[in-house]
Amino acid sequence: MNTRGKTLTERYEMGKLLGKGAFGKVHYARDLESNQGVAIKIMDKDRVLKAGLSEQVKREITTMRLVEHKNIVRLHEVMATRNKIYIIMEYAKGGELMDKLKRSGRLTEADAHRYFEQLIDALDHCHNRGVYHRDLKPENLLLDENGDLKVSDFGLSAFSESRRTDGLLHTVCGTPIYIAPEVIMKTGYDGAKSDIWSCGVVLFVLAAGYLPFQGPNLMEIYRKIHDRDFTCPSRFSHKLKRLLYKILNPNPSMRPSIQEIKESTWFRKGPREISAVNEKVLSENATTTNAAPVLASRHKEIAHEDMKSLVATNLNAFEIIALSAGLDLSGLFIKECRKETRFTSDKPALAIISKLEDIAKALNLRIRKKDNNIVSIEGRKEGGNGVLQFDMQIFEITPSCHLVQMKQTSGDLLEYQKLLEEGIRPGLKDVVSAWHGDDL
Amino acid sequence: MGCLQTKHASRSPHLLDTREAVALAAETSFTVSEVEALHDLFRKISNSVIRDNLIHKEEFQLALFRGKKQQNLFVDRVFDLFDQKRNGVIEFGEFVRSLGVFHPDAPEDQKVAFAFKLYDLKQTGFIERHELKEMVLALLDESDLDIASDAVEMIVDRADTKGDGKIDQEEWTEYAKDNPYVLRNMTLPYLKDITMVFPSFVMHSEISETDMAV
Repeated sequence: MNTRGKTLTERYEMGKLLGKGAFGKVHYARDLESNQGVAIKIMDKDRVLKAGLSEQVKREITTMRLVEHKNIVRLHEVMATRNKIYIIMEYAKGGELMDKLKRSGRLTEADAHRYFEQLIDALDHCHNRGVYHRDLKPENLLLDENGDLKVSDFGLSAFSESRRTDGLLHTVCGTPIYIAPEVIMKTGYDGAKSDIWSCGVVLFVLAAGYLPFQGPNLMEIYRKIHDRDFTCPSRFSHKLKRLLYKILNPNPSMRPSIQEIKESTWFRKGPREISAVNEKVLSENATTTNAAPVLASRHKEIAHEDMKSLVATNLNAFEIIALSAGLDLSGLFIKECRKETRFTSDKPALAIISKLEDIAKALNLRIRKKDNNIVSIEGRKEGGNGVLQFDMQIFEITPSCHLVQMKQTSGDLLEYQKLLEEGIRPGLKDVVSAWHGDDL
Repeated sequence: MGCLQTKHASRSPHLLDTREAVALAAETSFTVSEVEALHDLFRKISNSVIRDNLIHKEEFQLALFRGKKQQNLFVDRVFDLFDQKRNGVIEFGEFVRSLGVFHPDAPEDQKVAFAFKLYDLKQTGFIERHELKEMVLALLDESDLDIASDAVEMIVDRADTKGDGKIDQEEWTEYAKDNPYVLRNMTLPYLKDITMVFPSFVMHSEISETDMAV
């Protein structure tokens, strides 16, 4: 059936075929509302059923929703008909990293470092949420329009494409060489450690342009994997060789954790060539940071002057009613903690703001004024899902009675909750009469 | 492939009728898939206390406050508005149509009108002064706040800009346009994620390819 040019429920306009897989095909499509490109994976329901994967497919969709990271392809929504399942995902404009690799033969150590850093960052984010990839390989490493990494099919191992025999990235027999030895042995494995193994193979391939373990037959390849029998090209830096040797350990329990990889010299410092690039990025960040109106650095007296504009005063009935938790229907859908929380205070607004400034200072957060009586507080460094940021709005019910609403606006939810529990809430203790909202 | 008979020999009694799903999608901002995902949510809520595929008020409260049964004036009002037939229960069609107003893509005037009905407690066509006061007191009570009664009067006075003791539709529409903040509860961004939160429909959907491409 020709799906080209047809509209999928008026939301997406189907475009060209991007690829074919074990359960169907992937099409490019245009989101008619946002005009953004998306990738739609169309799966044959019959084939999914026959493979006994229906439960896994459902589970993996739910899991994928929890994963939001700048280096991971996002799942937008899913649709279904009697015969097909449509998985609508972010479209990575830059194509496959493998194509880039094929064009240039291999990457410089600096480029390999950059992608590896992003890969480890994405992996860390998912592992923290109990999501494992289980099928990391260059075909799943895509690039966005800025050339940054986008890992696809995270947690979607049931949706994984069939494995092709393409010489470079698989053995002659088409063996999935990226899969950790303990997974192949089916001895039961730790998802985190097997993902790390795959990262090691990926890193080797990116920097070398060929596979670390090769041989005339499977037995020979497995022997080499088992004996950790591989040789790095001599141009590899010593630090990189050392890291690869550690990661490609056939014994998962001896393989480094993500934390240990992050602490390795090569990961932290990279090859010499890239340090210049890193410094440049850092100094650019510093400029943008300084450009923003920073409340904390201007000191308290000024903040006090500004205070009037930070508090919503003279509220009318409608503004107050809109604060009711009973009008917030999000509880119907969301099992996880909400991004919004609030407290009441019988302290003057001045006291609340001073306290806020103290906390921001102690926790190394930036505090700044936005429009509409909103105080915005943000972290100083990039987290797993961008910079953590939340808004605080102070409503004056009477001069000695305030309701303060806090709402996360960007960054990672888990990081925010941790900050809230360990930093903000204990810090605000003296000015809070009671916390409201859920499960507090 | 392409066979006409239904794959499932025995249909579950609580399965969503395909025609109903398509009709509801046409009427709201939801896609057919989103309606099917909502049906999954509806089944969970509507069978949590009484297994009758209808949402009773108690079930609605439990779902909203996640297990904590809580009396709340606003929840009562929302329930009454969802219950379009006013027979004390929310049916699936009512559930979808009402939630449709909360869809990020739903037209603004639907949201404005819904909020007006919500606040017009006695459905007189006006939000009256005593209704405003009742709602303000309910919010204060919900937040464990106790403030002087003249402060409450002042808060109510500020909303009644004309000072005639009531707010009509037109006045409210004007006000909501100038103060979008008061409509903040009328949009639920989560509704866009609904197919990923309740993905069971992907395996049992009976929607035809032509219905999908409407």
